Amino acid sequence: MKKLSRRSALRGSFSVAATATIARPFLAHAAATTVSVWWPQGFVREEDVGFRAVVEGYEKASGNKVDFTLIPFAPLMQKIVGALTTGDVPDVLSHDTAPVTVIPQNAWNDKLVDLSDVVETQRSQYHPTALLASQYYNNATKKRRAYFAPFKTSVSPFHVWNSLVEKAGYKLSDAPKTWDAFWDFFKPMQKKLRDKGMRGVYALGLQPTTTGPADGNALFHYFLVAYGGNGIITPDGKPHLDDPQVKEAVIKALAFISTAYKEGYVPPGALSWNDADDNNAFHAKQMVMYLDGTISAEVALYHKKEEYADMVTLGLPLDNAGKQIPAQLGVQGPFIPKGAKNIEVAKEFIKYLIQPQVSNEYLKTGLGRWLPAMPDLVKTDPFWLDPKDQHVAAYAREGQLDPTVPTYPVFNPGYAEANAQQIWGTAEADVIREGLTPEAAADKALKRIGAILAKYPIEQS
Amino acid sequence: MSAALTESRPARRRTNYRRRRNLGEAAALAVGVVILIWTLTPIYNIVIVALEAHGDVFTNDIWPVKPSLESFWVILTQGHWYLEYFWHQFGNSLYVGLATVFLTLLIGSLASFSIGRMRIRQGWLVSNAALLTYVIPASFLAIPFYRIMHLYGLSNNLWAVIAAEVTFATPYAIFIFQQYGVSIPIELDEAARIDGASPTQIYYRIYLPLMAPALVAVGTYALLLAWNEYLYQFLLLSSKRSMTVPVALAQFLNSDEAPWNYMMATAIVYSVPPVAIYYAFRRRMTAGLAMGGIKG
Amino acid sequence: MDGAQVLDAAEPLATTTFTAARRGRRYWRGNLQGSEYAWAVAFVMPYAAVFLAFVVYPVIYGVWLGRSPALYEELASEPIYVRTVVNTVLYVVIGVNVKMFGALLLSGFFMRRGWWVKALLLIFVLPWAIPALPSFMSIHWMLNGQWGLLNNILWTLFGIDGPGWLETSRWLALGSVITSHIWKWMPFWTVILMAGRMAIPQELYEAADIDGATRLQRFNYVTFPLVANLYLVCTLLSTIFTLGDFNSVYFVSGGGPALSTHVLATLGIRNAFEVARPDLGVATVLSALPLMIPLVILLMRKLRTTEVQL
Repeated sequence: MKKLSRRSALRGSFSVAATATIARPFLAHAAATTVSVWWPQGFVREEDVGFRAVVEGYEKASGNKVDFTLIPFAPLMQKIVGALTTGDVPDVLSHDTAPVTVIPQNAWNDKLVDLSDVVETQRSQYHPTALLASQYYNNATKKRRAYFAPFKTSVSPFHVWNSLVEKAGYKLSDAPKTWDAFWDFFKPMQKKLRDKGMRGVYALGLQPTTTGPADGNALFHYFLVAYGGNGIITPDGKPHLDDPQVKEAVIKALAFISTAYKEGYVPPGALSWNDADDNNAFHAKQMVMYLDGTISAEVALYHKKEEYADMVTLGLPLDNAGKQIPAQLGVQGPFIPKGAKNIEVAKEFIKYLIQPQVSNEYLKTGLGRWLPAMPDLVKTDPFWLDPKDQHVAAYAREGQLDPTVPTYPVFNPGYAEANAQQIWGTAEADVIREGLTPEAAADKALKRIGAILAKYPIEQS
Repeated sequence: MSAALTESRPARRRTNYRRRRNLGEAAALAVGVVILIWTLTPIYNIVIVALEAHGDVFTNDIWPVKPSLESFWVILTQGHWYLEYFWHQFGNSLYVGLATVFLTLLIGSLASFSIGRMRIRQGWLVSNAALLTYVIPASFLAIPFYRIMHLYGLSNNLWAVIAAEVTFATPYAIFIFQQYGVSIPIELDEAARIDGASPTQIYYRIYLPLMAPALVAVGTYALLLAWNEYLYQFLLLSSKRSMTVPVALAQFLNSDEAPWNYMMATAIVYSVPPVAIYYAFRRRMTAGLAMGGIKG
Repeated sequence: MDGAQVLDAAEPLATTTFTAARRGRRYWRGNLQGSEYAWAVAFVMPYAAVFLAFVVYPVIYGVWLGRSPALYEELASEPIYVRTVVNTVLYVVIGVNVKMFGALLLSGFFMRRGWWVKALLLIFVLPWAIPALPSFMSIHWMLNGQWGLLNNILWTLFGIDGPGWLETSRWLALGSVITSHIWKWMPFWTVILMAGRMAIPQELYEAADIDGATRLQRFNYVTFPLVANLYLVCTLLSTIFTLGDFNSVYFVSGGGPALSTHVLATLGIRNAFEVARPDLGVATVLSALPLMIPLVILLMRKLRTTEVQL
C-alpha cells in the first residue's frame, strides 16, 4: 500500500508546493512564452505523471507554457546528438546520461548556456559533490562554469538475493566489511548452490562488458576507487596516468575482475551485457549478487512483494585498508543548448524545477530510483530513510549521506570519449580473451586514455 | 543388338528410373525437413517467448513452460506501460506502409512510363541516378536525414519516414517496371496514340492495367521494406504518439526491466499484416517478377 | 482488359509495326511532340523531386559533415576500425555468395512437383515476411549460451553443452551474424531466381531431354546460361544491400563480444550516437565508398547493356 500513500502524498504535498512557489515571483512576461522541453520518459508511469504535475505547477505560477515531449531513453540520446550537431535545438534538454556523454564535449565547445545563476538559487541546499559535478570546462572562455542544474543523483549499491545466500548455507550479516573479502565471500556459494541443483547459477555479476554503455565503465570505476586510484583525474582536469598509485589500482582492478571471470564465477555472457542484461540476469537468479547503478533492479520487482523483500541492497564496504570508499555519484539534470529560442524563460523553468519541494515530490513518484541532489531532503523526508523499505534507505544513505565523488567526465571531456570508447571494457576483454597480463592491458588502456586526453588540454588554474 | 537385350532394356530402365526417382524423392524430402527446421527454429523461439511468463524465458526447456495467452491479452488491452499506445502505433505503421506503397507505385510507374514507354531522351540519366541511391548505405544518410527533415518541417512526423522509405523503394520499382514493361508490346501505345489518346490516358488505360502483376510485386516489396525498417523510424520519430511499432519494440530493449514475453507477442502481432499480404499476393508477385523474359 | 484481349485487338497492326519495332527498338523514335514531351517530363518530375530532396541534398550534407581528412586519419588509427573493415569484407563476401548460391540451388529445388514443395515454399518465405527486429532479437536470445533455445536443444537431444555463440569468440559471433543474414534474405533471392527460371521456355528442357541430357547437363547447358546474367545482377545488388545492412549485426551480436564484430554500418551509427561524434560516424560510413562505387558502376553497366530483368 505504500504506492497509494506515496501517490496521495504526492497530491497532498504538491498542492502545498504549488502554493508555496506562487509566493516566489517568477518573471511574469507580458506575453506568455512557450518553452520547449525534451524530457526522458519515466521508468514507471508515475514518473511521467509527476513530471506533468510539475509542468502544470510551473505554468500556473508563471503564466508561461511548457511544450514538452517525453521521449524514451535511447531515442532521446540520438535526438539530442542530432539536435546539437545540426543546431536545431529545443529550449531545455535533459537525459540521464547526458552529463557524462554529451555535456562535457558541448561545454568544451561552448555550445551550452551557462547556468551558474540558476544553480546559485539552490546553492545552500545542494550536496557539495553535486555542485562540483555540474562544473564543466569551457575551452572558449577558459573557465569552469555550471552547465547543467543538478536535479537528481544516483550511485551503485550492491544487490543480493538473500534467499540464495541462505540456500548456500551462509548469512549475509556475516559478510566481511572490506572490499576484496566482501566479493570473495560470495564465491564459495556458487559451488554450494550448484551442488543443490541450480545448474546455471554464478556467484558474482561483474560486468566486464564493452556494450553497456554505462555499466561496464561504472563497475570498473568503483573498483578503481576502491583500490585507491581515484586520483586518475583530479578536479582540475589534469590526468595523472603515470601516478604509481593509480597504475597499481588499475592493475589490481583489471586483475580482480578478469580473474573472477576466468575462474568461472561470472556468467560468460557478461562480456557482452548491455545495461539491461545484467538486471535481467539478476532477476533470473543467474547470479547471487552484483553491483549496479540505482535500485532499478529492486524497483522492477516492486509489485512482487516476496521477491522485493528477498533482495537486499547494500552500500559499499570499506577498502582493504579499512577506510571508507567514496562512491562515484552520478548527477543529472536539465541543460540549455545555445541557440535555444527562449533562454530566459527556460532558466526560469529550471529554477522552478530544482526547488527542493518540487524535485523531491517528483523523485518520490519514481519509487526512489533516483535520489535527490540535496542531503537535507534525504534527512528530513521520512520517505528516504524509511526503515521499512530497506532498499531506498540503503541507497539514499550511500548516495547522499556517505562520502561521494563526481565522475571523471566532469573534470575532463576527454574522459567522456574514453568512456564511450569502452576502453576499460576492452582492457578486461584483453586480459580475458586475448591473454594479456593485467599489467600489459593496463598500460595499453592508460596509453589510449592519455592519447584521447591529450586532445583536451585544460589551461585553467 | 540381340532381341533379348532390346526387350529387357526398357524394363530395366524402368526399374532403374523408378529407383532413382524414389531416391531422389527421399533426398528431396530430407532437404525439405532441413529447410523446415532451419526456417522455423527462430520463429518457434518467438512463439515460445511470447507464450511464457517473463521469468520462465531463462529456463532450459525447449517446450513452452506453462504456456498462456496472457501476453496477447496485455497487448490487446494495452495493459503495459510501453504498450500504452500500441494500437495507435500499429495504425502509424499501417499508415506508413500503405503510404509508402501508394507513393512508390505512383512515382515509380510514372517515371518508368516516361523513361521506358515515352522514351524521354534523358531517361537513362534518371535510371542511373536512381541506382545511385543504393550506393549510399542507409546508415550514412541517417544524420543528414534528421537535419533535412527538420528543415522541411517534418521532424517527429510520419511523413519523414514515408519520404525515406519511398526514396529507397522507388529505384527498385523503376527497374522492375522497366523490365516488366518490355513484355508489353509498344504497338499498343502506338495504336492508342494514333487514335488520339493523350499520354495520361495511355498511362491510365493501357499501361497500368497491363502492369498489374508488376504493381503487385513492387507494392508488396515496398510494404515489406517499410515494415522491416527500424533505423530510420527510430531516428526520425520520438514521441509515443508518433512512433511506429518497431520503435515501440525498441523501448523494451533499452530499459532496465523488460517483459520480453510482451515484446515477442507484440512482434507476432506486428508480423501478421506483411505475412498475410505476402500470402495473399504471392502468385501475382511471382508473375510480376517473371514476365520480363530472359534477355542477355 | 487483360493482355491477351488487348493483343488480339491490336493484331492488325502487329505484323507491320511489330517487326519494325523489333528491328529498330526505338519506339516513338524519339520524336515526342510538344505536349507529349511536356507530359513525359511531368511524369518524371515526381521522382526527380524525390531524388533531389531526399538523396542529393542529404548526400551533399553528409559529405560536407565528413569532409575533414583528419577524421579519416583518426579512424585509421583506431584498432577497432581495421577489425571492422575485415568483418565487413568477410560478412559481405561470405554472406552474399553463400546466400546467392543457396538461392540458386533452392530455386531449382522449389520447382519440383508436389504439394508439399509448394507448402514448404510458403513456410520458407516467412523469414523475409517477418519484420527484422523481432526475428533478429529472437535469434539473439536463441543463441544465448546459458538459456538460449539452441543450447537447450543441443543439451536435451544430444547431451552437448553448447558454447556461448555470441559471447566469447569473435568468429563464432561473426558466423552467427552471417548465418542470421542468410536466414533472413535467402528466401527473397530464391523467389527472384525462381521467377527467372520459370520464364525459361519449357521447350528447351524438352529438347534437352530428347537429346538424353542428364540433370547436371540440363543445368549447365540450358538453365545456367539463361540465368547467369540474372544471377550476376542479383549478386551485385545483394552485395550493395549487404554492405549497408545494419539490422543483422546490430540486433544479433550488437557488435559482438568486445566490439569485435562491428561492420561499417553499425560502427558508423555507434560513432555518431554512442561516442557522440557524428562527424566521425559519417566518415566511417563514407569510407565504404571506394568499395561501393565500383560495384554500382558495374551494376549500371550490366543493366544498361543487357536488358535483364530482375
